[in-house]
Amino acid sequence: MKKLCVALAVAMCAAVALAGCGNGDGGPSFDPSAITIMGKESDLKKNYMQRIFDLYRASGENINVMYVEDGLYEQKSLELERAGKLPDLYLHFHNADLDNLDVENNFEYLNGAEWETELTASAAKYCTDGDGNLLGLPFWESSVSGCYYNKTIFAKYGLGPVTDQADFDGLCRLLAGEGVTPVCWAADGCSWMQQFALDPVFADDAKLLEDLNASRITYAEIPGVRAMTEWIYNAAKSGWFGKNYLSTGWDGISRALSSGEAAMTFIWDTWFYTDFTPGAYGVDDFALMPVFMNTAEGGTYEGGNLNMMMVNKKGDKKEKALDFLSFCADPENYNAAFKDISTVSVFRRQTTNIQSKMVTDAAESIAAHERVSTASTKIAGYSSDKVCAVFKELLSGAITVDRCIERLDRDRLAAAHGLI
Amino acid sequence: MWGVKNNGTAVRRLKKIIPPVAVVLIMGAVAAILAGYFNFISAQMRVDSQRHLQEVYGQVTRSFDAFINDNWGLLDGCAVYYAADGGTDGGGGFAGFVETQKQNRGFSEFYFLDTDKNYRTLGGAAGSLKPDGDYEAMIAAKQPVMAGETIGGVKTTMFAVAFEGVYGGFAFDAIGVSYTNTDIAKSLNANAFDGVAECYVINPEGNVLLTTAVGGGARTNYLTYLKNALDADSYNGIADDIRNGRQGFFQGELRNEEYSIIYMPVGYGDYFLLSAVPLSAVSRGFLTAQRATMRVLLITFSIIIAALIALLVFRIVTQSNKNKQELQYRERMFDVLSNTVNDIFLMLDPDTQAVEYISPNVERLIGISAKEARADIRNMAACAVDRNIIVPDAELRGIPLNGSKSWECEYMHQSTGERRWYRVSIYRMSIQGTEKYIIVMSDRTLDKQLNQKLQEALDAAKSANEAKSNFLSNMSHDIRTPMNAIVGFSVLLEKNADNPAAVRDYTHKIMASGQHLLSLINDVLDMSKIESGKTSLNVEEFSLPALLEDLNIIIMPQAKAKQQDFTIHTHGNPPDKLTGDRLRLNQILINLLSNAVKYTPQGGKIDFSVQSVKGAGQLVNLRFVVKDNGIGMSGEYIKEIFKPFSREKNSVVNAVQGTGLGMAITKNLVDLMGGVIQVESEPGKGSTFTVDLSFAPAAEQQADRLPVKMTRMLVADDEEDVCLGICGMMRGTGVDVKYALDGNTAVEMADAAHENGEGYHVILLDWKMPGTDGVQTARLIREKVGTDVPILVLTSYDWSDIEHEARQAGINAFMPKPFFPSTFFSAVKPFFGGEASQTETPPADGTLQGKMFLVAEDNDLNAEILTEMLALEGARCEVAQNGRIAADMFLKAPEGYYDMILMDVQMPVMNGYEAARTIRASSDYGRRIPIAAMTANTFTEDVQNALNAGMDAHLAKPVDMDAVKKTAAALLAKGRGKEETE
Repeated sequence: MKKLCVALAVAMCAAVALAGCGNGDGGPSFDPSAITIMGKESDLKKNYMQRIFDLYRASGENINVMYVEDGLYEQKSLELERAGKLPDLYLHFHNADLDNLDVENNFEYLNGAEWETELTASAAKYCTDGDGNLLGLPFWESSVSGCYYNKTIFAKYGLGPVTDQADFDGLCRLLAGEGVTPVCWAADGCSWMQQFALDPVFADDAKLLEDLNASRITYAEIPGVRAMTEWIYNAAKSGWFGKNYLSTGWDGISRALSSGEAAMTFIWDTWFYTDFTPGAYGVDDFALMPVFMNTAEGGTYEGGNLNMMMVNKKGDKKEKALDFLSFCADPENYNAAFKDISTVSVFRRQTTNIQSKMVTDAAESIAAHERVSTASTKIAGYSSDKVCAVFKELLSGAITVDRCIERLDRDRLAAAHGLI
Repeated sequence: MWGVKNNGTAVRRLKKIIPPVAVVLIMGAVAAILAGYFNFISAQMRVDSQRHLQEVYGQVTRSFDAFINDNWGLLDGCAVYYAADGGTDGGGGFAGFVETQKQNRGFSEFYFLDTDKNYRTLGGAAGSLKPDGDYEAMIAAKQPVMAGETIGGVKTTMFAVAFEGVYGGFAFDAIGVSYTNTDIAKSLNANAFDGVAECYVINPEGNVLLTTAVGGGARTNYLTYLKNALDADSYNGIADDIRNGRQGFFQGELRNEEYSIIYMPVGYGDYFLLSAVPLSAVSRGFLTAQRATMRVLLITFSIIIAALIALLVFRIVTQSNKNKQELQYRERMFDVLSNTVNDIFLMLDPDTQAVEYISPNVERLIGISAKEARADIRNMAACAVDRNIIVPDAELRGIPLNGSKSWECEYMHQSTGERRWYRVSIYRMSIQGTEKYIIVMSDRTLDKQLNQKLQEALDAAKSANEAKSNFLSNMSHDIRTPMNAIVGFSVLLEKNADNPAAVRDYTHKIMASGQHLLSLINDVLDMSKIESGKTSLNVEEFSLPALLEDLNIIIMPQAKAKQQDFTIHTHGNPPDKLTGDRLRLNQILINLLSNAVKYTPQGGKIDFSVQSVKGAGQLVNLRFVVKDNGIGMSGEYIKEIFKPFSREKNSVVNAVQGTGLGMAITKNLVDLMGGVIQVESEPGKGSTFTVDLSFAPAAEQQADRLPVKMTRMLVADDEEDVCLGICGMMRGTGVDVKYALDGNTAVEMADAAHENGEGYHVILLDWKMPGTDGVQTARLIREKVGTDVPILVLTSYDWSDIEHEARQAGINAFMPKPFFPSTFFSAVKPFFGGEASQTETPPADGTLQGKMFLVAEDNDLNAEILTEMLALEGARCEVAQNGRIAADMFLKAPEGYYDMILMDVQMPVMNGYEAARTIRASSDYGRRIPIAAMTANTFTEDVQNALNAGMDAHLAKPVDMDAVKKTAAALLAKGRGKEETE
């Protein structure tokens, strides 16, 4: 009788646990003996994620997939962490809010994992914290953000990719002199350009980031922030962004590049496959060089934001979870999962993905100048939308450079302190 | 004429065209010269810039050549050193050597290279390169290599030489060093021209090996750039040169700016050093000079042009000001002229009738402002008296060009109503191609007025001539009539010399006719003198009662002869003494009274009153009214009555003798005395003449003293006005006057007063009273009161007719009407112990008896008449024919021989005035003897002249013996004195 009650209690707890964990069905019914992976519903439903789950199950193991509504994911994560009920495997993009989950006590450092060397340098760097701890296995599509240029137009005017800021400015002058808009700058709602420029400022100096987040310094005291702001302002005034940049939005980028109106833009490679509509110029007319916005002498690339699988170090199925990671990092498995997925290689032996020639051709440059996405992910209170809006005011002449930087600080601090 | 005119026009046109054409030609020549100059400068600049660039970049090329060779030499040295170092891993000596070289030469890295472009560095770094160019072939051919490379994202240039060996297990085929392009650019020091020059090291295909241009790292192929930037010929020329290893120079437009491009082979392979420099940097000096020259030229030309423009503007402005000034002068002159003359000038637009100009004097002359006239020409037309005379528009338009139309028009001044006449002339003319109406309103007012006056004068002259003719006609008749009587009766006298009665009758008639003729002549002379302005008043004190009495003496007999009732009244207590011209007043009143007698039929009534009228000031205002119930005058004649020679044309007047000058003379005398004469008359009912005159009061009124004993007086007159008048005049004299309106009442009053013991001290009775007349009343009063109280008769009639009867009735004295207190006092004085006033008594006969007269008279007839007349008076006389003889005769005569001298004035040899002065100056006897002037001239001046000459009296010719006797009596009685008699 007692046992029956215990069993029932266990079952009820399991049921409660399952009920409290998600609002979605993880596919097959919950297997208490299997590991559980928790992530945003949209993330877990990626085809390559589903593939790896299927492959894992096909291998004779089981995995519970806990889908959490995207908007509730952070809250749910905090609840579970406080309850000590984090799942075996936890998906996270390794942005700033990871710090709220007490990584050191809750998650296993994965340095030395056998699959560590499978990772590309940038992927490994992305998943590594400031102390060099490998926090998770990046099992995600990736991209490279940089300065994509129309090499055909370049060749027409005897121009080529540049390797320093001075040459990039000279390049813009030469293109402008030929009547070509040097950079397609979509100031209306396209909010990523500034983070590309800020990545090297904070990625190259972790202390700077720490001091900024600790409110020991502000943007105004960081030369790189001013240098970027001034460069953007002067470039716009010099006509390097063309005439209609203030009203150019997401859709305008494809039009400007495909027509040849603009020769360059700061974007990521997969955009060419998802949102670029060829016109007078197609994907093959473009190549990749670093982004130059006066924050890194040799320019900068931003690596993709990777969702990494993290292991609950306190979980009773930690070993199984670690095995799962190894399973995922197996070339056969990850190639199967990422077959025909447009992504920059995360794994060194990743061969089945569709990686753009632009990225391939620029591999060496990327390797030299790629930074992990730092600004948008690591600066507390950073909002790319708000940054975009402030810069729009700057470029429209409504505010000055100084005022722009002030506003960036204000917005950042307000968001960081939960005021907005 | 046509030909001359045509050539003149052509010449004028030519003159107009030549200056601008000349200016254009000059400017064209200047532009051509400048263009030639600038072209020359540009050519020189091209040559200069080429030379300059060749020098500069030749230097750079040589430097680069040296740099290249230097690096190959370095690598050769490294190879030697490496071989000497034993081909080991390069540690120690070789590494140190390389490091030292690195420090000295500045290369970035030292490489061990294989033919597959893999490398190892001394530090053990490995990798692969992608040098441009044919690296493998060059190495295989043991040729030194210079290639561009991007290492670690940095553009570099690598120098390599073939050298085989093994380093750290790495088999290499070549060694090399790399420099960053930036370092090479710095070492070349190719940044001439202040960094604006772009310098590239390119291969024949145009690929850029390295660039010195800051920010020029984007340029990867310069020939591709030039192909897009230049025209085909220019590009082909350059590309061909480079492909064929020829150095060259290009100058042309690049990026919208003038550029100089120089290219020359460097000392390695087919590489060229190409430099593109803005011309402004290359030929700065030239350009500066050119710009300065241009600036100077521009400034100079600008100054010249500005000066020319200023001069032109100055001339235009000056001319304009001059024209304006002249216009203003003319306008001013025209304004002054128009304000001075009375002609009005207008200019009209023929189409719109708008007044474009009107002379400002229109306001003065017509009374409308220039603004009003300019607003609408009809405002002017409205001032015309006869608007029908205004010419309508259709007729105006009919005026041919350069033609005119004129008409007379009268205008009335809108404010003053003054009328002016104008001759309006409108001219249609073309001014600078535009037609205008020029209107000239020529003032003819003066002419018109002159014509009118002339016409009036002509009419007056005609009228005067007619009047003169009438006068002469009348005068002829009026003179001839008495002359006829004189001559006729003289003939009869001669024939009836023995008939004393006839002689007396004829003589009387001759005298009457002579008096009438004299009166006629006096009237004519008086009128002539008055009209010529020679009459002056003789102002002196005179007695009004005496004047009235004289008038009564003259008129009463005339009235009595026609059984007319003539009365004289006074009202308002006129003063006794007045200051004025007694003679002229007498003449006025005699004329009026004489006419009244003349034009009042038998039994008519003539009333003459004198009224004192109150007025402001000290003057005595008297109103003399002569009223009759005679034949009266028509209204038409009353208008003409005071004109000379005017007589009413009717049978009655025609029957009355007269000159027609009497009223004219009366009017002129009244005017002369500052008075007013009025006449009212109605035919058949009589006339009333009223004369208002003012006199200064006499210095001292007659101070008659009343008898103290007379305090009560009784007056009886059937006219109560007379009684009241007497009461009024006696007021303030202390005499209580009672009156009765009939004789019986007067008797009762006298009796009653006498019974009461308050009998009257004097009784004054009117003679002619109805019922009991004055004489009877006096008789009855005497019966009642006795003979003590004096009774006087007050009458206008001749006392002598009733004197005897009156005295029988107890009347003591006679007093003439009208009653004057002074006359009354004089009359009653003898009854109260006073003496009677001195009254003028006619000279008694015998005054001249036995007297000797000296008569100076050049006319024998007058002398004979005077001699006979003196003889009749018992006097003797001696006649002198002129003043000289008279003076001589007096001087020769013993003292006292002559009693008096009668001196004619107008005499030959010596006139009477001179003779009188001579006699007066001769002796005491001469100063004492009475001298009387005899002259036909009776003007006041003549009298005065006579007195001034020393004479004592003036006698008018024809000599009146009574006047002679009176004058002589007076002068002889006083011994000698001045007395004026007429």
